[in-house]
Amino acid sequence: MSNFSVGFRSTGTFTILDLNGELDAHTASELEAAIQKCKDDKSFQIIVNGNQLQYISSAGLGVFMAYIEDVRENGGDIKIAALQPKVFNVFDLLGFPMLFDIVDNEQEAMSRFENGSTKN
Amino acid sequence: MPRLGLYEATQSVKRLRGRFNVRNALLVAAVVAGSVSAVGYHFLRYTGQINGDGMAPWLYAFGVLLTFGAAFIYMSFRYRKRPTSFIPVFWAPIAAGLVYLAAGYLVSQIGQPSLPDDLNLNVQLQGFDLDTGRPLTVATILKMNVITLFQAAFCFILLLRIRSLVNVRRTRTSERNWNILLGLMVFASLLVFMRSPRQGLNVIQSLALVPAVGMMVVNSFRMSWIVYLPFRDKLAVIGLSFLLLILLVSVGVMDEQLLGAFNFVPFSYTFVRFYSYPLSVFFTLSIIFGIIYCTTTILSLLFHLPTASAFQQKAGEVAAIHSLTELVGQVFEPDALYSTITAAPVEAGLADASWLLMTRATEAGVVPTVESTFRISPGRLREKIDVSALYSDIQSKRKPVILGSAPADHRISARPGEGIGSLVAIPLMARSELLGALMVTKEVTQGFEPDDVLALSVYCDQAALALDRAHLFEERLEKERLERELAIAREVQSKLLPQQIPCIRGLTIHASSTPAQEVGGDYYDFAVLDENRLAFVIADVSGKGTSAAFYMAVMQGIFSAVSAIADSPRAFLIAANEALVRVLEKNIFISVLYGVIDSEKETISIARAGHCPAATIDLDGRASLWRLDGMGLGLDPSGAIFAKSLVEETRRLSPGDVFVLYTDGVIESRSATGDEYGFDRILSVLEQNRHEDVDDLHGALIGDLDSFVENGAYGDDTTVVVIKWHGSAFMPSETMSRMLGTRTTTGE
Repeated sequence: MSNFSVGFRSTGTFTILDLNGELDAHTASELEAAIQKCKDDKSFQIIVNGNQLQYISSAGLGVFMAYIEDVRENGGDIKIAALQPKVFNVFDLLGFPMLFDIVDNEQEAMSRFENGSTKN
Repeated sequence: MPRLGLYEATQSVKRLRGRFNVRNALLVAAVVAGSVSAVGYHFLRYTGQINGDGMAPWLYAFGVLLTFGAAFIYMSFRYRKRPTSFIPVFWAPIAAGLVYLAAGYLVSQIGQPSLPDDLNLNVQLQGFDLDTGRPLTVATILKMNVITLFQAAFCFILLLRIRSLVNVRRTRTSERNWNILLGLMVFASLLVFMRSPRQGLNVIQSLALVPAVGMMVVNSFRMSWIVYLPFRDKLAVIGLSFLLLILLVSVGVMDEQLLGAFNFVPFSYTFVRFYSYPLSVFFTLSIIFGIIYCTTTILSLLFHLPTASAFQQKAGEVAAIHSLTELVGQVFEPDALYSTITAAPVEAGLADASWLLMTRATEAGVVPTVESTFRISPGRLREKIDVSALYSDIQSKRKPVILGSAPADHRISARPGEGIGSLVAIPLMARSELLGALMVTKEVTQGFEPDDVLALSVYCDQAALALDRAHLFEERLEKERLERELAIAREVQSKLLPQQIPCIRGLTIHASSTPAQEVGGDYYDFAVLDENRLAFVIADVSGKGTSAAFYMAVMQGIFSAVSAIADSPRAFLIAANEALVRVLEKNIFISVLYGVIDSEKETISIARAGHCPAATIDLDGRASLWRLDGMGLGLDPSGAIFAKSLVEETRRLSPGDVFVLYTDGVIESRSATGDEYGFDRILSVLEQNRHEDVDDLHGALIGDLDSFVENGAYGDDTTVVVIKWHGSAFMPSETMSRMLGTRTTTGE
């Protein structure tokens, strides 16, 4: 039934989470588990690749909110890259671009990390 | 009360009828009439008005058989009930026998001549004309009638009481054997019909007794009632049988020809035989049967005595387990059930101590927990026995684990003599799932025989069923409770939404909200700020269900309190954000659109906190999304970015302007093919229906959404609010302020 999955990749100090499918109230726990795993592994430089993310609900957005504070306190960040326009619109409507770095691709996300710029 | 009186009256009539029913009354009448007629016949013979020839003796003999046949049938009805205890079964014939002896002794004293020496002694003593059978004295008539009647009573009671013993655990064969015996006895008796009392039995008549006696022996082996007697009852029955045996021997075997020997009822045979020869044979046979049955009873009981206590204990265990199994089936409350199940084997005498383990799902996985102990304290149990090791043994074997010598086992730390000699642990299985285990101990080693383990296993199967049922019952209760709670929550939440559309100059409004589950996170509301100004709000709490519903209620509170004092939409949202960041979970946020319509200035001002932009259209059909900057409430704990991003805009109203507020449940509704409803579709529906009044416009939006979703699903709460401006001259009629309700077409 679940049509959502999270893939892990590591590039240097970055952990890249590939989101695939639809992120809603039922599948939010999978993303939660994925970010929790990053935390447990002490990898706080997280890039979420949303290229394959078809849909996100408010519960899915809530997952980013739940962890962002913790990750930033540990000197890291969650940067969101390569969102589909429709999904970006959901982020945008709620004003997420003011809280998160939402960028066009992973390279940009990495360079943002290297420049050390974070929102907030 | 009169009805009750009537009822009682009918009941007592019924009771009376039950006791004296027609059949019994006829039987009793026949017996009484027959006995009285017999006395009359003897009297007439005595006076000589009837002699031994002609029809009269035939009629008499036949009448006597009918009379005593009726008496036997009547008494067999009286004794038909199965005895509940076997001791009274012996008392009845003993009492009847004693009464017979007493009555016989008393009447035999009447008209007793002083001991003469001549050869006619017997004739004189017996008082019959031996050739004709004519009674010679009135005393003889009395003696023969009394002795016969009492002997009949004694023999019938004896036979019928023995029947009730023979019939214990009856089978078709046993019933047949009894009927054959009775038939053979009657047959042998009828063979001597109209035979002269002076003559003995001829060869055929004697031979007819043999099969009857044979059947007596066969019936005497019907002794199964003995098995169930407790030890003390067995002793009592031995005593009573012995008493009855002596009585029977003294009634039956005393040789009346033996002069000088003491006899309670001298010449009783002669009296009965002169009364009726067949009766005499029948009585004799009955007494022989009684003697045989009593003898076998005494012998069987004597042989059964040594095993009585063991057997009684086993029977007691079985009975106790059975009754406790029934009790277990009636208990639903888990704790009570646990202790009942634990106590049962000990109370039944199968063990000295017991405890019950149930598996319990905890964070560390499924672990066995001791739920109840009996005759052993939980502390001692922990100290002496490694319960979880035993349980894992059961878990792998799924069979009873038997420790014949418990102290020798590594899982038992009790030393010999510490009260834990042997142990049996039995799995509790229901629907091939291991629910737990029952463990029992005995103080002695090798205390559990295979049949004990079998009994415990059978018991545990029952107990497991009861436990399983109790769990199901509890789950269902819990589910019903939750459903009730949710129904209440839904009821409460529907009260949080406006029950009426406020009535304000220049405006008409229609709105609806449908939660995806029982309760939801969507909210809309209106507040009349003053005579010209109306505040409206639409909000969507992230997530769904119960948690969203709680924050929706919080939002309602904030709206009620803050809308009255906030002087602009922006001010309202900033205040609301401040209030909410303190109470919202990190991952929860609320998107809100708040606006104020001023019907005097003819303006509308809105601010958007992350919510779906309002869809607007004017009279000319220019449709657009009114999208302003602003982030959701609760996203920015500091509030600084929130305030910086938040934009408020005021527009002039012109008649025909329509504003549609909605939640993302509308936009994200899916069709059967998985497409989303989307923003554009709202705008096109608005364009087509912009001339309609708000009710129809609202209806058109919902209708379009429904037809789009058909066979698809509303995944989220959906709320639609339609506001139409008619110009400040327009006065909505009172009927416009009408009741609102949630839509009932919930799509799950």
